[in-house]
Amino acid sequence: METRFRCIPLIAGLALSAATPSVFAQSEDDVLGDIISPDIERREIREAQIDSENIEITAYLGGVMNVEDFGSNTLYGGALAYHINEDLFMEAGYGQTELGESSFERLSGSAPLLTDDQRQLSFYNLSLGWNLFPGETFIFDDWALNSSLYLIGGVGNTDFADEDHFTYNVGAGVRVLANDWLSVRLDVRDHIFEHEIFGEVQNTNNLSAQLGVAVFF
Amino acid sequence: MSRRNYGTVLKLALALLLASGVARAETIERPQHVPEDAEQVTVGAPYLNMHTGPGRGYPIFHVAEHGETIWLLKRRTDWVKVTTRRDKSGWIRVAELDEIYGIDGEQVAVPLPDFSDIEQQHFHLGFSYGDFDGADSMGVNLGYRFTANLSAELRATQAVGAYSDSQTYQLAVIHQPFPRWKFSPYFMLGTGLNITSPNATIVATEDREDTAMLTGFGIKTYLSRRFALRAEVANHYLLTSRENNQEIVEWKLGFDVYL
Repeated sequence: METRFRCIPLIAGLALSAATPSVFAQSEDDVLGDIISPDIERREIREAQIDSENIEITAYLGGVMNVEDFGSNTLYGGALAYHINEDLFMEAGYGQTELGESSFERLSGSAPLLTDDQRQLSFYNLSLGWNLFPGETFIFDDWALNSSLYLIGGVGNTDFADEDHFTYNVGAGVRVLANDWLSVRLDVRDHIFEHEIFGEVQNTNNLSAQLGVAVFF
Repeated sequence: MSRRNYGTVLKLALALLLASGVARAETIERPQHVPEDAEQVTVGAPYLNMHTGPGRGYPIFHVAEHGETIWLLKRRTDWVKVTTRRDKSGWIRVAELDEIYGIDGEQVAVPLPDFSDIEQQHFHLGFSYGDFDGADSMGVNLGYRFTANLSAELRATQAVGAYSDSQTYQLAVIHQPFPRWKFSPYFMLGTGLNITSPNATIVATEDREDTAMLTGFGIKTYLSRRFALRAEVANHYLLTSRENNQEIVEWKLGFDVYL
């Protein structure tokens, strides 16, 4: 509709110029021709040359993992994430820790259940994270840092005592960005798996908390 | 030195001064805070909102005006970091950057990848969770779309069961007969390797490594531009060195992301 209204003065102008050719000089005719002649050249569109920084690599600087019945021990590891959009990211994580003595071993004074080698625990997982609360973190008056609180969950494998254990993980974390490419992450996870070290199948919830430094590239 | 020579020197000095002035004007074109490889564009939209971070949750703190020169620095997901002549740096949504123009007046586009653009060749990466003959399985796959109907996929799965653990590595060809459907079915043919390790606590046997043939079908649906859900059932036919070949049925639920 609007285009039609816009066309009216144009058509009127055209009609006028056609009806009174003697009034307008030749040069003015060209000006009008320039205005109304369709732009037949296709507009060139070029893709912008910009780098994407969607990959985030995290190194756990400090972490602790509690394995049910085997105490809490230092956790080492890291994660590689791909940010799908502002809400979602997919992450592959890896970690390793050591199992302590179980209370049974300590109280009974009998031979240890596991060898030192079997006490080495390592896990990996594939997870999907959701940036639930993006926003800013204020450090007193001077700093406003971008941050987000995320929920994360996935599946993976935990290897200890010469056995693989299929593991579900759920957790939450906070990512605070120092600048565009550097962030600090605090992440708390529950690793849920079944094992039968004590004779019968037991479902265990194993919590880990890790503080990491992440770089986007 | 004659008076005429003085004149020449004066003229020369003036010319040099002018030249340096021009040179300085050119450097002002790209302010010092802007890196050399940043793309210079002019805003064609009435205005562009600049956020403090790449997300809707980060506040708008500045507005780039129509006709203003800005530089594109980098991209994260669907956001582009830009900087202005006055060193204001912020993030603009890619969808809003549909009217920007380059130095020669050409329109500059920032591409938004989209699964619905089925003619476009692209990589996709996915995670999956499933049931591998009674064992829980997790998988990762990397695919490449050649045509609207045809893709190839590298797949790796780890399954952990009560009696044995398995790892599978496969190369599969996927055919999507109706790529435009909201729920698009697909068929799969592949080959690969299955490594089965029986649990040591139950039976003490060695790991087996078998060549496997893979057939399967599934359904794929796009939840957003770059995120697709998929469900599939696959039949692994293991060519074993024992008397009988073995068949394993695997059910999977997962997601794919357009890279």
